[in-house]
Amino acid sequence: MRDPKKLAKSGLDALLKAGAEKAQCLLSLTDKHEMNVDAGELSLFRTTFDTRLSMTAIKGQKKGTSSINKADSESIERAAAEALAIADASQPDEANDIAEYQVPQEFSAGSDSPDFGRMHYRLKELLNTVRARYPKIVLRQAYLDFTRERLYLVNSNGVDFVSTKGVYRCFIIFSSRDGEKVSSFNYTGVAMKDLEKEIIECGSIDILLRQSTEQITTRSVGSKFVGDVIVAPDCLEDVLGFLTASISDRPMISGTSIYKDKLNQPVASPLLTVHSKPVSDEICDGYFLTQDGYAARNSTIVGRGVLRAFLLSLYGSRKTGKERSVNDGRAFVVEPGHTSLEDMVKAVKKGILLVRFSGGRPNENGDFAGVAKNSYYIEDGEIKYPISETMISGNFAQMLGNITAISSERIDYGFAVLPWVAFSGVVISGK
Amino acid sequence: MHGVDLSKYSQLLTAYTELRVQENRSVQISFVKGNNTINSRSITGGVSARVYKNGSWGFASNPEVTDDSIRSVIKVATDNAVFLDSRERKGKKPLPVTAASSDNDFSTKKSRLGQRQLVEFAREVDSHIVRKYPNLSSRTVVLSCLDMEKTLLTSDGSYAHSMIPRSFIHVTLSVEKDGKPVELSDSYGGLGQFEDVFESPASIFDGIEKQYQHLMKKKEGVFPEAGVKTCVLDAELAGILAHEAIGHTTEADLVMGGSVAGGLLGKEVASPLITLVDFANTCLGKTCPVPVYVDDEGTRAEDVVIIDKGVLKGFMHNKESAAHFGVSPTGNARAFLFSDEPLIRMRNTAIMPGTSKLEDMIASVDDGYYLINPSNGQADSTSEFMFGITLGYEIKNGKIGRAIVDTTISGVAFDVLKTVTMVSDEMKWLSAGMCGKKQPIPVGMGGPAIKCKVNIGGR
Repeated sequence: MRDPKKLAKSGLDALLKAGAEKAQCLLSLTDKHEMNVDAGELSLFRTTFDTRLSMTAIKGQKKGTSSINKADSESIERAAAEALAIADASQPDEANDIAEYQVPQEFSAGSDSPDFGRMHYRLKELLNTVRARYPKIVLRQAYLDFTRERLYLVNSNGVDFVSTKGVYRCFIIFSSRDGEKVSSFNYTGVAMKDLEKEIIECGSIDILLRQSTEQITTRSVGSKFVGDVIVAPDCLEDVLGFLTASISDRPMISGTSIYKDKLNQPVASPLLTVHSKPVSDEICDGYFLTQDGYAARNSTIVGRGVLRAFLLSLYGSRKTGKERSVNDGRAFVVEPGHTSLEDMVKAVKKGILLVRFSGGRPNENGDFAGVAKNSYYIEDGEIKYPISETMISGNFAQMLGNITAISSERIDYGFAVLPWVAFSGVVISGK
Repeated sequence: MHGVDLSKYSQLLTAYTELRVQENRSVQISFVKGNNTINSRSITGGVSARVYKNGSWGFASNPEVTDDSIRSVIKVATDNAVFLDSRERKGKKPLPVTAASSDNDFSTKKSRLGQRQLVEFAREVDSHIVRKYPNLSSRTVVLSCLDMEKTLLTSDGSYAHSMIPRSFIHVTLSVEKDGKPVELSDSYGGLGQFEDVFESPASIFDGIEKQYQHLMKKKEGVFPEAGVKTCVLDAELAGILAHEAIGHTTEADLVMGGSVAGGLLGKEVASPLITLVDFANTCLGKTCPVPVYVDDEGTRAEDVVIIDKGVLKGFMHNKESAAHFGVSPTGNARAFLFSDEPLIRMRNTAIMPGTSKLEDMIASVDDGYYLINPSNGQADSTSEFMFGITLGYEIKNGKIGRAIVDTTISGVAFDVLKTVTMVSDEMKWLSAGMCGKKQPIPVGMGGPAIKCKVNIGGR
């Protein structure tokens, strides 16, 4: 393959030559090396190379994007012509634009290449440790991969960025079995900059494996009640996801977001502070570039309960007249509280520890209902038993205002850093 | 892409090998409140090889489809299998041999519409909504097409080509009630390229009218009463129940991974009214929404009867799981992208129709719910499931009552299916979504309406 930087520039040139007034070309080269476990056995070693060239043209305020995963001159010429044809077919919109000039920069993080021997060693170690420590666990699937992604982003305003990132990622999905009885499955993932640490010690893996073995025999919570819910880090993004989705382009542009007029107003308890930190040392699996061609920066989404930023793209910003987000969201870091998880449990009169939430998408107002999975009933400050066939319902927007405590402990997933958060006033109903 | 000749590489497939050239072509056009927010085309294609050695697999892919890259992926996949085998030493037997050939091309014979015409089509749907329903606060129209074209050569001697397209228009309508939005989404379309699926924008106007009427009722909707209720699940919900709650537990890799269905083979797991089948390509004489003729391991795809009159009869298999269970492969190994390895996936999973009439089923319920549209769904290794409900009505004294707001239903599928007392005689398919299991993949889910007891979320 030709020099990728020159390739990206040739894509940009092709767009301009085809008639684009403004153009952006994003070339992504990804090498992935992945070892897979199926039903407890190492089963597959996978190596994939991919190229993605995303070419955007704007002409007469009309925008078109063509994406291909080829990098030869003929394909680039064809994609450039297609991007122009798509733009030509589009509706003019004065909000269509590309990022303005920024000083050219090269960013990099993580390793350049994987250590296959180490990957195999760590994955085998995980299998052996799980077998020894938690014999009832059935590892349905696990994979450990090393992904190296190189991005070359150029646009006709002179933007010229190169970003290189190498990261190890591990994902596991598992359940526990005792004779004919099985637990609910659970899953988690973690990103790592290297393989220095045992995988089982990363993220919430060990906690969830231990809990799974406790969840072979479960009970329903019985009758309906309104109680407290301590949301574990693995499902905190389900709660925060409503907020972050609602402050993004589609609901903001369509006007259906309940937060559309809430900038700098309280949207959550003052206990809650949520950052998006794609370029922080706290996050090894972040990103350097936004989709619309800016160097990403860290931001505070919610500061002490107050909405501090929307997650609007350049287009979304132009359409709504509100400020563009300095990042694409994700890479969430929630500030810890001052209460230990143990004390948070002690403070619950009647409620549940929610470890996984399996629910329908909340509606635009935040109303939700779903099943509490891999979760526990709490009464009089004690975790009593693992539950099943238990539903919770409420409103995510209201819940954010009803935070009673945030744990001092947090889980570092590599792609996010999250604590346990306690909410009051949630409807909990058993079978 | 049609015409990629892989046969000349057959001599390179010395170990058990699958060699696949694949291209996914997609079109995405989106109008949000009249703004043309997305207008894009994407092509993702390349070549991959997967090699089996004594129980260990190696896989490699490359986006370039050239003589060099094809030879390279075979070599790297072989090296990867050798690496893993050298460390794992499983010593497993060879996989079952299956050889099949087919060529199934669902490309339209009509002249193709250009991007301009597709944008105009979506814009016309959007304009119709604005004109006809001025009280709406917002609307979204998304036109989405995906063509998946594959050519497969295996060392067993299989050679298959397929081009399976799907085309949809997704419409979301929003109205405000007391300053807060109420939405209802629906999807129109199915198997085929756009020109074969949609004659004109007007062809979906009747559907949008029904969607609007439901939304007006939903606007006045009430919270359901939380708890276990008798419900009539309409066809789309029965389909998602078949897929999520039963289908996944009976994928052989999940059975090997600890699913509850592993211990239930041959046992009564549902009412005798329930027969549930994963169809390969044809159901009741009609082509299914996601037809599979030869799977990505080169096995001829066969229907899998999962539940026959209430008794659990079988699992869905790839070659490896079939060898493990001592049965024949069923043709369920499917990959989404060229760079994905085949996994055991459902094709078109459906509960078979019964003999009851929907109106009689509703009339037989004193106090319950008629649930029509699902959003997302998820199920567990225990068969405990959850589905989001975006459209439903109360049933009071055998009559449809007030609409309900968005909610969720849940239950243990093998328990819920034992409570089924009526099954309707009409069958519908749902195929707009993607099933997620490491990779996404298009699937069909079908069924009649069923009357059963489920746990419904509410206040």
